[in-house]
Amino acid sequence: MLWLARRIGISICLVWIVASIVFLAIRLIPGNPAELLLSQGGVAPDPRAVTELKRELGLDRPLWTQYWASMDDLLHGNLGNSLEDGTPVMSEVLFRLPRTLELIFAAGLFAALVGVPAGTLAANRQGGLFDRFAGWLAGLALAVPVFVTGTLLILLFAVNLQWMPAGGYVPFLQNPLQHLVLLAMPALTIGAGLAAAVFRMTRSAVLDVARRDHVRAARAKGLSPFRVLRRHVLRNAMLPVVTVFGLQLGALLGGTVLVEYVFNWPGLSSLLVEAVNARDYTEVQGIVLVISVLFVALNLLIDLIYAALDPRVRLQ
Amino acid sequence: MRRFPWLAAMAVCVIALTAVLAPVLLLASPVRIDIAHRLGGASAAHPLGRDELGRDELSRLIWGARSSLTVAFGASLLAGVIGIGFGVLGGFFRGVVELLTVRTMDIVLCFPPLLLALLVVTVLGPGIGTLIPVLALLFLPGFTRVAYAGVLATRALDYVEAVRVLGVHPTRIMLRTILPNIGGPLFVQFSLAVAAGVILESGLSFLGLGVVPPTPSWGLMIGAARATMTQDPALLLWPCLALSGTVLSINALCDGLGERADPHGVVRWRRSGLLGALLPGLAPPAGAVLALADLTVAIETPSGTIHPVREVSLSVGAGETLALVGESGSGKTLTGLALLGVLPDAARVTTGAAWLEGREILRLDPAARRTLTGSRLAMIFQDPTSSLNPLHRVGAQIVEAIRAHQRIGRRAACIRALSLLRKVGIADPEQRLDAFPHELSGGMRQRVMIAIAIANEPRLIVADEPTTALDVTIQAQILDLLATLQRTSGLAMIFITHSLPVVAEIAERVAVMYAGEIVEEGAVAEVFAEPRHPYTSALLASAPDEGGSPPRPIPGTIPQPHALPKGCAFTPRCPRVLAACEATHPPLLAIAAGHRSRCIRATEA
Repeated sequence: MLWLARRIGISICLVWIVASIVFLAIRLIPGNPAELLLSQGGVAPDPRAVTELKRELGLDRPLWTQYWASMDDLLHGNLGNSLEDGTPVMSEVLFRLPRTLELIFAAGLFAALVGVPAGTLAANRQGGLFDRFAGWLAGLALAVPVFVTGTLLILLFAVNLQWMPAGGYVPFLQNPLQHLVLLAMPALTIGAGLAAAVFRMTRSAVLDVARRDHVRAARAKGLSPFRVLRRHVLRNAMLPVVTVFGLQLGALLGGTVLVEYVFNWPGLSSLLVEAVNARDYTEVQGIVLVISVLFVALNLLIDLIYAALDPRVRLQ
Repeated sequence: MRRFPWLAAMAVCVIALTAVLAPVLLLASPVRIDIAHRLGGASAAHPLGRDELGRDELSRLIWGARSSLTVAFGASLLAGVIGIGFGVLGGFFRGVVELLTVRTMDIVLCFPPLLLALLVVTVLGPGIGTLIPVLALLFLPGFTRVAYAGVLATRALDYVEAVRVLGVHPTRIMLRTILPNIGGPLFVQFSLAVAAGVILESGLSFLGLGVVPPTPSWGLMIGAARATMTQDPALLLWPCLALSGTVLSINALCDGLGERADPHGVVRWRRSGLLGALLPGLAPPAGAVLALADLTVAIETPSGTIHPVREVSLSVGAGETLALVGESGSGKTLTGLALLGVLPDAARVTTGAAWLEGREILRLDPAARRTLTGSRLAMIFQDPTSSLNPLHRVGAQIVEAIRAHQRIGRRAACIRALSLLRKVGIADPEQRLDAFPHELSGGMRQRVMIAIAIANEPRLIVADEPTTALDVTIQAQILDLLATLQRTSGLAMIFITHSLPVVAEIAERVAVMYAGEIVEEGAVAEVFAEPRHPYTSALLASAPDEGGSPPRPIPGTIPQPHALPKGCAFTPRCPRVLAACEATHPPLLAIAAGHRSRCIRATEA
């Protein structure tokens, strides 16, 4: 339990550091946000308007005061209002977030369901036909960037074959079937690369564990090959795979930007791109913060899962 | 060791060279707009046609490579230089410096990478000048860690320690050893960073947040070609192909180098290797629990097939202990694994027969073989720490062994496991049942391994150096336990060891192995008192003696299995070698009742 408390404490510290960095990053912009916001189109802004906006945004106050106010808001779940349309950033984030999470979940599910069995099979027949073919395919999937895969999928299935729409989003409750059809291509696009990564990790972990003494000892008990594989090889091989897979899923928070853009999927990442293009600094700050908090929370969750899988961790 | 990945290396070189030489390749201008000929098809002047603004596609592709690689190389180089600096400083000075250089990297890792890039681009605005520092920031933790780990590893090297003890500051020797040590991992890290840089640059440019038009970039080209993909899909395919091909080449180079560094190499899986039919008339000696005849084990290695166990014949009766002794690499353990049917994938039995209680087992199909393994014959391994699965409770690992061979429920198996733990002398068996292996001491773990081995009341136990990994006091306890178990149940035991005092204590007969063969076999008292093979004599002389004569080590080393001498394997180290010894391989001959030797001079006085 001490371990858990310590781990949670570290996570809270990390969130605080991230929030501070994001806060500073926005304020350290050369020429400050108010000026940049008003100087669209390359025309120098009216100094009075800049002063006015600065006062309105509270940017004229001392940095320390701003920092306290900002942290206080954060503690109350307030991410401020969008500079563009004045709506609370928090509500917009909560509206878009589930769509991105759904995309990540679907891609992760696909990757785990394909990558783990394929990696195990390849390791069991190392150097065999399947191993070589799957390894080659995984190398390809890892080399092709997601926006290329996505664009090519659209070119093939939406433009040439016209089997599917090129992209878009329909809420699940409005039309479940259409929702899933629209989810398939972006999820597959992300899932392909992810599955390749899971395949490689699983393969090398299984190969590594299969060489260990305890697997030989398990075989010497006269257990069936399947049972040796499941209980003594796969169970142990999953430890590193879970960790790296979790990190990869975490990188997808915000990493779905390109796929959401390609498939017109209105998730949190596309909101971020919109905010970046509109120079909506409060919104950028809010989104980055939320994603970072989720990222830290996910890492904590991975550690917990790891501890559940590996009894040796619980003692430390 | 695999071949150097020439193909990938050449592809990377060609791509990099094309990008470098772009200005002198006499290409059409990549930025000159010609709206009148927009989407113009291929022609002699424009081999890949023109884009949506009438610009030459081939030229834009090549100049695009230049933008991509400039950003990727620039960022990787910057991250590499700073990262190595941070890592070396952190590993060198530790303390506060370590905190500032290595631990701060964890903050970078708190942000999902693309998100961090977007955040910085928001602050600094798009463009090549922004991309390089942004990507460098993303790659920094990777380089820092590789360098840091390299420095720590170098610090721990014996000679660096030695220099430090002498009072010399190890700066110079470290600088001279660190870079060669981490050169390989750093190069792989660098290549991975370049590949990631190409992907990130094109992705950000695709979103309009990377390279600023009109500078050509693959990401920008793909983004623009999406609008016209119904009219001219080729415009979309070219940059996609260039981008994926570049990343693929760099990745293939990294993978190739990584596999070359992997000491394990690829073992080709072989299903074949069925033993030939048993020769008619060959029958087991009566009364033996186990009889082994002419066992030969082959292993496939990258440099050819080797035979680490050759024509080993043994037999052991009920209640008897046969000690199998020899140096490391003499084939003792492989012989045991072959008996159990748990050889590594690369190894297989090529000839021989083994009769367990009169039944030949080497030719059984795998399923039938498994019903014997762990029940009629069992094995105790050298290192109990690595031989227990760290993730499962001790009780579950015993129960698993019981239920593999007995049709009983989980509860009944638990009760049986409890009594087994009691039998092997574990106090508080109820609590130990729920313990994980790491919660037990080494001696206790070996007791658990013994409990697993005797779980199904075997007739034969192969004990592979069961006390080597234990403290001296624990060793004696484990030996006592094994002797007691053997006395009470009358099981046969093959005791593999390199310790002659242990042999004298526990075994009735001894078989001495050298370079994969048995060189002498007989009753322990007889062999020890009057060895009839020079290797046995040398082995006895090399053991510490209570009488006070100092141990004499055997000169030379055991020959490698792929470079065995033509004649007797011991000739290079033998003090009594003759010309005849080097000419022909001597057979194992009986020199007295129950005493065999492979030395041609065995019967000389």
